[in-house]
Amino acid sequence: MTAIPQDAALVRITDLHKGYGAHIKVLRGLNIEMKPGERVVVIGPSGGGKSTLLRVVMGLEEIQQGSVTFAGKPYISAEGSKTRIDTEQRKKIGMVFQHYTLFPHLTVLQNLTLAPRKVHGVSRSAAEDRGRAILARFGLDAKADAYPSQLSGGQKQRVAIARALMLDPQLMLFDEVTSALDPELVAEVEAVILQLASQGMPMMMVTHDMWFARNVASRVIFCAGGVVVEDGPPEQVLGNPKEERTREFIDRVFHIKG
Amino acid sequence: MDYTLDLGAVTRNLGPLFDGLAVTLQLTVAANIIGITAGFGLALLVLSRFALLRLPAMLFVEFFRCTPAIVQIVWFFYCVPMLFNVFLDPITMGVLALGLNLTAFNAEAYRASIQAVPREHLDAGIALGLTPAQRVLNIVLPQAMRASVPVLLTNGIGTFQQSALVAIVGVADLMYQGKTLATQTYRPIETFTIIALFYLAVSFPVSQLVGWLERRRGLAAR
Repeated sequence: MTAIPQDAALVRITDLHKGYGAHIKVLRGLNIEMKPGERVVVIGPSGGGKSTLLRVVMGLEEIQQGSVTFAGKPYISAEGSKTRIDTEQRKKIGMVFQHYTLFPHLTVLQNLTLAPRKVHGVSRSAAEDRGRAILARFGLDAKADAYPSQLSGGQKQRVAIARALMLDPQLMLFDEVTSALDPELVAEVEAVILQLASQGMPMMMVTHDMWFARNVASRVIFCAGGVVVEDGPPEQVLGNPKEERTREFIDRVFHIKG
Repeated sequence: MDYTLDLGAVTRNLGPLFDGLAVTLQLTVAANIIGITAGFGLALLVLSRFALLRLPAMLFVEFFRCTPAIVQIVWFFYCVPMLFNVFLDPITMGVLALGLNLTAFNAEAYRASIQAVPREHLDAGIALGLTPAQRVLNIVLPQAMRASVPVLLTNGIGTFQQSALVAIVGVADLMYQGKTLATQTYRPIETFTIIALFYLAVSFPVSQLVGWLERRRGLAAR
C-alpha cells in the first residue's frame, strides 16, 4: 500500500446523489468516509443503491450531485450536468463484478496481462511472470492457458480477482461476486477474498451472504432508500442493530437463511 | 410424359457453363470484398451517436433490406446510366448492385455482433484502466468479429446465389449460360438440373462450414 497518513480517508463520499432519468433516484445524499485498511461490507434491500454505490466509486456512473475523493485527492465530482472523473485516480481501484467479465477471446493469462501491458506499458514477459505468480497464489497455475469457457464459475471469479490485482489496486470493489455461482463454488471465491483481507487489502463489497459479511468485514454499512441508515462494526450492525430498519432487514435475511 | 434424358447434350457443352461459373464466382468474390469492408464502415455509421451519420446509414440499410434484390438489380442497370450518365460494363454493374446489397446485410451482421458484446465487459475494461480506443480494439472488435463470421459467410453465399439474378440483365454468368444452352439444345431439364448442382457444389461446403463454426461457438459460449 502507499503511504497514506492513517488519519486521512481512503475514500470520502460526500452528499452523493445519483439517479437514472428524471424520476428514478437511487442515491439521495449518501455520505461515507472509508479509512485505509478498512473492509467495508455494504448490505441492504435490493434497489437500495448498494451496487450503484460501488459502480460510482469505480467511476462507471455519472452522478448528479456530490463528490468522491480518493487517497485525499479529488476523484469524482458533479459539476453542473457533467460528471468529472479523474481517470488516473480511477486506475488505483480494482473491481470484480457479479456477472462473469473475463474476455472470452483471450486465455486466462492474456486476460491478466492485457491491462498491465496496454495501460502501464509492462513488457509481455514481465506481465506474464507476474500473472503466473498471482495465479499460483490462487491455485490456478494449471489454468493459465485455458480459455474462460473451460473454467467453472468459481474459477472465473478467482481469475477476475487475479486480473484486478495485476494493477496493484489500492482499493478493491466486489459487487455480489458470488451471487451468480452455484452454492458449492462460493467457498473457493470467498477464500480468495479472505486471503486478500488478511493481507490488508482495503475493500468495499456488496454481498447477500451475511455469514461471509461477518467474517470479512471490519465495518458494515446498512444502506436503504439511497442513504446510509446504519454504520458500524459487524457485531453491531449484523448482531445488534440500533436502527429499526436495520433490525427488520437482518431479521428477515436470517429468517430466510434459516 | 415421353421424355428421354440426354445428359450428353449438356456434358458436350460444359465449356460455356464453366465460363459462366467463372463470371458468377468473380461477381461473388468482388461483391463480398465490397460487402465485408464497406459493411463494417456502414455498421459504424449505423451505431454513430450523430444522427447526421446514423440516419442516412439506416436508410441505406433499410432500402436494401426492404426491397427485392431483383428490383435493386434491374433498377441499378436501367436507372443508374439514365440518371447519372454512367455507363459501366455489365459485370461491374452487377458487382456494384450485389456489393451494395451485401453491404447493407453485412452492416446488420456487424452491428448485431458489436451490440452483442456484454456491457459488463466494457465496464470491466474501464475498471482495468483501458482507454475507450483500447476497449474497442481489445474487447469489442475481437469478440464482434468472431461472432459475425458465420453470418458474413451465410450472407456471402446468399450473394453467390442471388448473383443468378444478373442473368436477366444480360450478364453472362452461370445462369445466363445455362438459359442459353437450354434454349439451344432444347434440354431444359438436363441443363437446369446441372446448373442447380453447380450452385449446390459451391454453396454446400460453405454452409457446412457455417454450421461447424456455429457449433464450435456454441460450445465455447457455455
